Amino acid sequence: MLRAYRSLPMEEAAARLRLMSQVGVGGGEISPGILDACRRGDREAFRALYEAYKDRVYSIAFHFFHGDVDAAGEVTQQVFLKLMREIRRFRGDAALSTWLHRLVINACVDRTRRRRTDVVANDPVVLDAMPGGALSHEESFARREVAASVQHAVATLPAKLRAAILLRYFEDLSYSDMARVLNCSIGTVASRLSRGHRLLAKRLAPMRSREM
Amino acid sequence: MFTRHVEKSLTRYCDGELSAADRQRVDAHLATCPRCRTALETTRFSASAVRQLGAVSAPPALWHGIEAALDEPRSDGIRMGALRWAAACAVLALVAGSAYWWSRDLAPRPWEVAHATDGSTRRMAAGEWVETGGDSKARIIVGQLGTVDVAPDTRVRLGRVSESEYRLSLARGTISAEINAPPRLFIVDTPASTVVDLGCAYTVTVGDDGAAELRMTTGWSALEWNGRESLVPAGAICRTKPGAGPGTPYFDDAPEAVKAAVGDFDGGRDRAHALDVIIGAARLRDTLTLWHLLSRVDAPDRGRVYDAIAALAPPPARVSRAQILALDADALRKWREELAWQW
Repeated sequence: MLRAYRSLPMEEAAARLRLMSQVGVGGGEISPGILDACRRGDREAFRALYEAYKDRVYSIAFHFFHGDVDAAGEVTQQVFLKLMREIRRFRGDAALSTWLHRLVINACVDRTRRRRTDVVANDPVVLDAMPGGALSHEESFARREVAASVQHAVATLPAKLRAAILLRYFEDLSYSDMARVLNCSIGTVASRLSRGHRLLAKRLAPMRSREM
Repeated sequence: MFTRHVEKSLTRYCDGELSAADRQRVDAHLATCPRCRTALETTRFSASAVRQLGAVSAPPALWHGIEAALDEPRSDGIRMGALRWAAACAVLALVAGSAYWWSRDLAPRPWEVAHATDGSTRRMAAGEWVETGGDSKARIIVGQLGTVDVAPDTRVRLGRVSESEYRLSLARGTISAEINAPPRLFIVDTPASTVVDLGCAYTVTVGDDGAAELRMTTGWSALEWNGRESLVPAGAICRTKPGAGPGTPYFDDAPEAVKAAVGDFDGGRDRAHALDVIIGAARLRDTLTLWHLLSRVDAPDRGRVYDAIAALAPPPARVSRAQILALDADALRKWREELAWQW
């Protein structure tokens, strides 16, 4: 039975490897060649682009919507559909990641406007792996509790403040990049972050008092 | 500027977005103002709390929805079919261009072998053997395609060289190949299987009993024997035995239980239990192993293997359970193409 596939993986694997190496998975910007292929409607190139960015897009939406996997999935699909359909208009004046961040944030904010039920039941939250080996059951439970509190606090921020907080502290964007993504001044970025911090501090106060 | 409290500047201060002069002024104020120091600690606390949120992997099934939407006709008259035609034309042009390039630059040329011990290089003809002793190594230059390093105690026969094929036979020992060429141009025969390069780097070792182990470093290779084939991506291992052909590939970082069970399954030792173990312990990435098992298990077990893969990564649209259970080649290929993004 396997004989039938003998000729199939070759070109596919080679093309995929070539695409993935150009995309630069794991960081950095994609090559002009991949962008050109996407503009031509090359599905494999677009798939490579999707694979490179899907987890970042999904993660932002996941935390924006308090771990709502349906909302995160819907936003991720919307973002990549829009990206593919409009990529011919992308002139490369800004980095693709800036455009992608703008698409994610716009999709999240739009969805929030459409549905005022932001904070919903959620799947377990995720925290970055902690260095120092495996956690005990109690430590693991405690960390999940902390993660749940943080995610809830972020999810209850007004959408614009939530976007700013996630772009800065989850995506690690600079203020100037954030200003481009959010289409506002650096002063506005700082102001939104400052207001976000004040609200987060109030909502995380019980957690902080336990730590202190 | 900072004679008053500096709370409004603390976010920029924390994030390193203040000028040096402003930063100095904030430092000076903080040194004397407990209220602003408390506000600074609060800002730092909330920033570090958000930084702890981890990345989440997008579910594999998301792509199917995107692809289905892309396939739907657009109301503005732009159809994705047209884009696909354009892509197909581009691929054809690329293939044609590549064929011309390779036919122009890869004229047959003799093998070139460098011995690491004395640094000497000699040209060798097809049919000659390269043998290394216990403390010697060699490097075979594979035209313009790459190199093959020959480890100590290894015996390799130089094979045919043509525009469409560079062929070696590994009788014993270990070679490490690093090849940058179109798929299927570089081939290594072992007593148990044939390693077909798909654009990659790998190490293959042949023991005294003729059994071989292929370890992929980058890219893909196919192990073939008598119509049986195993596809081996980077990070995976595949063993092969004379008379049995290529075994089931698995990832080097797979759970130990999975690795041991693959050995048992391929060796014919309590296959039912081995299959239970693989199904029970397989991760998303181990669908590499499960996909190969679809065509290697008995028909009654195929449904269980299908369910195990589908639970980790559902099949794409238009691929049904019935097609997979019937080992429909096209359906299996489509699913493999999907799964391969996780391999």
